[in-house]
Amino acid sequence: MSTPVRLTIVLAPWCPHCVPLSVTEGGRLARRLKVPLRLLDIDHAAQEKKADQLVRRYGDPAPDYLIPQVFLEWADGRVQHLLTGFSEEVPRTARAWTDLLRSDWLRRVVRGEET
Amino acid sequence: MSRTGAVPPILRRALRPATPHCYRHCDRPLRGRTVPISAPGWLCVYACPGGAVSVVTYHEWAKTDPTPTLLRFARSHTSPSTVVRRWDMRLAGRHGPELGVTAERFLAKARPIRPVRVVYWRLYPFKKKDGSAFRLFACFRHGVGAVQFFVAPRESQSPPCPRC
Repeated sequence: MSTPVRLTIVLAPWCPHCVPLSVTEGGRLARRLKVPLRLLDIDHAAQEKKADQLVRRYGDPAPDYLIPQVFLEWADGRVQHLLTGFSEEVPRTARAWTDLLRSDWLRRVVRGEET
Repeated sequence: MSRTGAVPPILRRALRPATPHCYRHCDRPLRGRTVPISAPGWLCVYACPGGAVSVVTYHEWAKTDPTPTLLRFARSHTSPSTVVRRWDMRLAGRHGPELGVTAERFLAKARPIRPVRVVYWRLYPFKKKDGSAFRLFACFRHGVGAVQFFVAPRESQSPPCPRC
């Protein structure tokens, strides 16, 4: 049985879908999961490299990819892509966070039923 | 049963934006128009009453990346086609838990389990060499469900379509 070990958000400080929205909601999700939250800033060279790798391998890649992208790492080494910002509008991304925090999936993970 | 890649109405409802507004043009509410295409997915053009396009979305509930489908469609319906660039297309996978409980339970029952993939085409306003600013507009007067994209001066309201 595997457990979540870290939540990562790929973001940029100038993006309204990322800051403050996803930092706040990501913190809430990390607390529910009892895991640390890692922020990878695509404007920071060293963090950008890690962010690009994560997005290319597990997320939604594109030459100029969407942010934020949210990933959950599991103890068995799996990385699960959870959410990508909605290009249409910030309130739609906010709704996605609300739905994620209220989801059946999260309840199952918190209860240890989703591994 | 539905065509592979088709997006059922229950998922379309969950994927729709709530109150989109025109981007860097007039800030009026956007109307999302569904455009029937030969591909199985769902193409929607979000434009203001003045015809300025904020974003074009193409959703497919399929395993593969639908970006090439939208790229082909956009190139064949845009004047000039050179403004359609791969760089301006961005992919997102939409999973059940972020789409509300109804869509989450619907997607959880489906086999194989896979996200809905959406490609956004957002052509930001741009400047030509002489400094004049342009942006993307859409004309829907080419038959039922047809669309023609074209560029026109950025502040235009309902500019003339080159095909009309």
